[in-house]
Amino acid sequence: MYITRKHISRRTVLRGAGAALALPFLESMVPAQTPLLKTAAAPRARLCTIEMVHGAAGSTRTGGKLHYWSPAQEGPDFEFSPTLISLKPYREYMTIVSNTDLNGARPWSPKEEGADHTRSSAVYLTGAHPRMTEGADVECGPSIDQIYARKFGQDTPLPSIQLCIENPGSLSAACGFGYSCVYCDTISWSSATNPLPMERDPRVVFERLFGAGGTAKERSSRSREDQSILDRIQHSVARLKQGLGPADQSRLNGYLDNVREIERRIQAIEQYNTARGDVKQLPNAPVGVPETFREHMDLMLDLQVLAFMTETTRVSSFKMSRDVSSAIYPESGVKTPFHALSHHGEDPKNIAEFAKLNQYHVSTVAPFLEKLRNTPDGDGNLLDHSLVMYGSPMGDSHVHEHRRVPVFLAGHASGKIKGNLHLNCPDETPMANLLLTIMNRLGIEDLNKIGDSSGNLAI
Amino acid sequence: MRYIAVLSGLFISTMAYPQVAKNTIAADQKGDSQKAASFRSQGASDHEFVSRYCAACHNDKLKTGGFSFAQVDQAHPGQNAEQFEKVILKLRTGMMPPAGLPRPKADALNAFVTGLETRIDRAAAAHPNPGAPALHRLNRAEYRNSIHDLLGLDVDVETLLPADNITHGFDNMSEALTVTPTLMEAYIRAAGKISRLATGDPGMQPIVDTYRVATNFSQIRHVEGTPFGTRGGISVVHNFQADGEYIFRMTLVFTRNTFLFGSTMNGQQLEVSVNGQRVALLDINPLMKTGDNDLRTPPIKVKAGPQNISASFIKKGDGPIDDFLQRPDRSLADDFSGQIPGLTNPPHLRDLGIMGPYKATGVSETVSRRKIFICRPATPDQEEPCAKEIVSRLARQAYRRPVSKESFDDLMQVYWDGREHGNFESGIRMAVQFILANPEFVIRFERTPSGVRPGDDYRVSDLELASRLAYFLWSSLPNEELIAVANQGKLRDAAVLRQQVERLLANPRSEALAKNFATQWLHLRGLTDANPDVYLYPNSDDNLLQSMLRETELLFDSIVREDRSVVDLLTANYTFVDERLAKHYGIPNIQGNRFRRVSLTDENRFGLLGQGSVLTVTSASNRTSPVARGKWVMEQILGVSPPPPPPNVPALAENNVLGGETIKLRSVRERMEQHRANEPCNSCHKMMDPIGLALENFDAVGAWRTRDSGFPVDPSGQLVDGTRVDSPTGLRRALLQYSDAYVANFTTRLLTYALGRGLSSSDMPTVRKIIRDSGEDHRFGSIVLNIAKSAPFQMRRAEARPAVTQQSVVSEAALDHKKRVDISQNKSGQ
Repeated sequence: MYITRKHISRRTVLRGAGAALALPFLESMVPAQTPLLKTAAAPRARLCTIEMVHGAAGSTRTGGKLHYWSPAQEGPDFEFSPTLISLKPYREYMTIVSNTDLNGARPWSPKEEGADHTRSSAVYLTGAHPRMTEGADVECGPSIDQIYARKFGQDTPLPSIQLCIENPGSLSAACGFGYSCVYCDTISWSSATNPLPMERDPRVVFERLFGAGGTAKERSSRSREDQSILDRIQHSVARLKQGLGPADQSRLNGYLDNVREIERRIQAIEQYNTARGDVKQLPNAPVGVPETFREHMDLMLDLQVLAFMTETTRVSSFKMSRDVSSAIYPESGVKTPFHALSHHGEDPKNIAEFAKLNQYHVSTVAPFLEKLRNTPDGDGNLLDHSLVMYGSPMGDSHVHEHRRVPVFLAGHASGKIKGNLHLNCPDETPMANLLLTIMNRLGIEDLNKIGDSSGNLAI
Repeated sequence: MRYIAVLSGLFISTMAYPQVAKNTIAADQKGDSQKAASFRSQGASDHEFVSRYCAACHNDKLKTGGFSFAQVDQAHPGQNAEQFEKVILKLRTGMMPPAGLPRPKADALNAFVTGLETRIDRAAAAHPNPGAPALHRLNRAEYRNSIHDLLGLDVDVETLLPADNITHGFDNMSEALTVTPTLMEAYIRAAGKISRLATGDPGMQPIVDTYRVATNFSQIRHVEGTPFGTRGGISVVHNFQADGEYIFRMTLVFTRNTFLFGSTMNGQQLEVSVNGQRVALLDINPLMKTGDNDLRTPPIKVKAGPQNISASFIKKGDGPIDDFLQRPDRSLADDFSGQIPGLTNPPHLRDLGIMGPYKATGVSETVSRRKIFICRPATPDQEEPCAKEIVSRLARQAYRRPVSKESFDDLMQVYWDGREHGNFESGIRMAVQFILANPEFVIRFERTPSGVRPGDDYRVSDLELASRLAYFLWSSLPNEELIAVANQGKLRDAAVLRQQVERLLANPRSEALAKNFATQWLHLRGLTDANPDVYLYPNSDDNLLQSMLRETELLFDSIVREDRSVVDLLTANYTFVDERLAKHYGIPNIQGNRFRRVSLTDENRFGLLGQGSVLTVTSASNRTSPVARGKWVMEQILGVSPPPPPPNVPALAENNVLGGETIKLRSVRERMEQHRANEPCNSCHKMMDPIGLALENFDAVGAWRTRDSGFPVDPSGQLVDGTRVDSPTGLRRALLQYSDAYVANFTTRLLTYALGRGLSSSDMPTVRKIIRDSGEDHRFGSIVLNIAKSAPFQMRRAEARPAVTQQSVVSEAALDHKKRVDISQNKSGQ
């Protein structure tokens, strides 16, 4: 909204959006429209990975036949299915990948049965099979957003950002059963053993992207102080390590590695801020977590547009819900709680109702694509130079099945993904093949396996 | 709790039983002769107990639940402690033998289990393992409390730090408190912000801080903290960073079609007050529409520091309202109710913004400044000695130990850095920021003393013990007295330890136990996410949910303060209510927002099982969930876990409208019975469901009911041990048969929380020792004291020592030089 209709006054925006108060701050903080890096003609692709939980009605046997999610036709001449109908305006950017299986999320031994809700999210971007543990020895990843960030995120102020909608701190019914909650709290893993926390508060995300402080001068003097303090902490490394066992030492090493990384980020953001010049007016920082799902979605997606546009980062991962969430989405017109409805009991009416909910969830992402498409970037627009992945690590979540998982891509990834395609894969194609294909296309050529991948997809 | 979750397998035995009974004798005869010999040596009665009640299923042939008594040595249970701890738990909680099979008499069972426990404990005493918890990073709650105690400042930690990982049921488990770059960044950023808040910052640019009122928060009545004679609105303690002028901006609630919510009510006024004193009175124009200018006060002078700000509506009328249609307590449930003539629903506040400072004039004295600036330099010469005094005192408290020379030099370097770029105060502020960002504050270090070999167990130092105690009982820093006692080496003295534990418990800061331990143990943090269906429970607003949480916190706190038996949590014939909650429970004559202790007359309300918080958090938004309630009782009260549900189970049919067609209404019980008809489901459900069904008289928000969806409530059922129950009171009495299991579960969880690590079967002897030493009456204070005295709390096992310390310093310095390269090439993403 802040990009496409800038001429509209704040008041008009408010009137149009009911009581949506969340947006105006962005307006005031948007720097000059031009991206700040010396933009090449075809800039490095941005990667946004979005996860929705609980599969989709289109992945059920009944819903598959009715083509709720996967279009009936394959190839470029497909018709948009009911669930994906809101994406129709972006046809040339759309790649729908059907009939792949996320095998890493399945139980591999009898004792793992039933705990699918705890495992799923960890597998979505990693293809790996999470180790069953409630301790610190969690093991899964790395996830594709992080593989990409490691290679192509190091020259931006932030290598990547992680966002979410639902509170990760709350004890969910999905947690437990022998698995650490962390498996269902995040989809990003920087390594096999390092899950990354996801941030729910737009204000915190905003400050991470642009630094704290009201003016460029204030931000600059603060980052000087931060750096000086970080330097000083590094000086005391040897002292801090005295008398620690090896496990604690390595833990502390991790801490100090992080200190260096933060120092780098602070410097990078400061450089950017200097290049950016001052913001237009007094910052009206985001209020915090908006109340409604829709407002929250809009704000989090706007922040990602802003981050991509300014190349503050090129990589984001975004978790729209948590497993076993009993959220109700009044805007969708569906009154049954999310998780309860996903256990549809094979009743076609329930499945249809669930499809309606899926359709609503997908539709919340459409404005994001719209804004990306309307943002100039290099020789095209931001959607030309982005890859947005949206999907779920479950298929038919009534039976906790990870086959035929719903997933689509949007964006041309700087010419690497042609779009306007519905690819219906042969049965038993691993979903990891899609992860691998994305990585290979995006420039991680030396990667030849993710999870149980067996090759590339023809997208 | 980890080992408990593994028990799930044993449940299957209930299904396998019918075929098994016939095989009893055959299986018995086939028993391993060696093992049988050891049974005999241990005593015929134990052998007989097992063969009579257990071995029919748990033998080598059937291995029901993956367990056979022939595979373990009953005479030396310590060698198979993990399996035998499961046996003990199953028997102690009455989950075995399965329903319908012969059960041992109570004394026979007790003798058998006690025998096992004694033998395990004896074996464990010979090889104790105190464990080696990982470096403990402060979690959100600990960070907030530490900042409060250090600087006298309340910070909103949820916007400063990412959420902590939860494992073993708690968010203070050291192994899960990992450090990621995002988290580090948050700590660094928080240090900067907090140091500015604490010292004040007259040079800061104006910003807007906004506080939102939840839409499920009713604004019809007086809100705690706002002036009397007002209704609704919000009351906050806002930290002002400078003396100066501030503008308060209020947004009201509007209906979907852009009218003011409450537009039918004329003459409404909004009052803004600072510390109870009115500073502005604004008239509300009922013709306002969405998008009109917010209500704003003129610039108002406010002093730096935490000030109580409230924005609330002048109360224009009182007494009952007799409309044709009654609005629900959850007053914003339907936004049109705020614009229909004849329906009394006044304007509501949506948010309060505080903008400023404009024309900052300086920084007045604040609590934080008084805590920090213990001296003031009158001349430039006095600056350095004063700075030294300030930073060394703060660092000692923040690092929880006397500050080493090197640490102190670092601090002064930072001070000088800040001093050079500003003045004395900016130097101190930088030093405060450094202290807060420092690993010595953020991490609780426990160091192996020299001379201790890897694998040795040793007592942690007195100062480390002081930190363990303070973070256990206060979720915060040890205070000056505790540091002083520890520094003198006195904390090892049993009498001093007891005295300090009692002092810590008596301090109001021990409310942290209710807020952090109890709410997590009982899953009450889920109340934040509870969203009772507005059409079914229109009176369940946020005010009510908050009151429910407070009630349980206060009940737990009363157990702490009055040093009661922990069993009282189940049986207490008193509770704490405010007006809202009293009305919900049907308790008469309670008015106002103040919580007060009341005696309960209705036995069904006694203890935790009668509390709205527990009953709501174990319900779905639109119905009760007897399964969730049953599971909650089994896990949180008795400490046994049912296995996860198999995947392809249909959810309980909902009573709602699908595709325009109304389904026949059915009670939750009826719907569950249909669900339970599936055989694999029944084996577990017959353990959980009768527990939950006994509570069916409490609806999904814990209000008493006699009908469900129009049908009379039937709370009757038979527990897995055969006891018939037909009411919450009956259930409570039945559970009290297992009060030993409850106390063991309580102690297990409290020890987990105290140590900040998950327990394993090897810790169970410690748990039993704590219970034995705490005496028959299970007083909370005794359990805490015996936890504090226990080996894992007092000791630590040394890890293997680092090979060459000197080398690691060198490599660290080398790293420093090439860090740019390293980071850009190797550093992982994020």
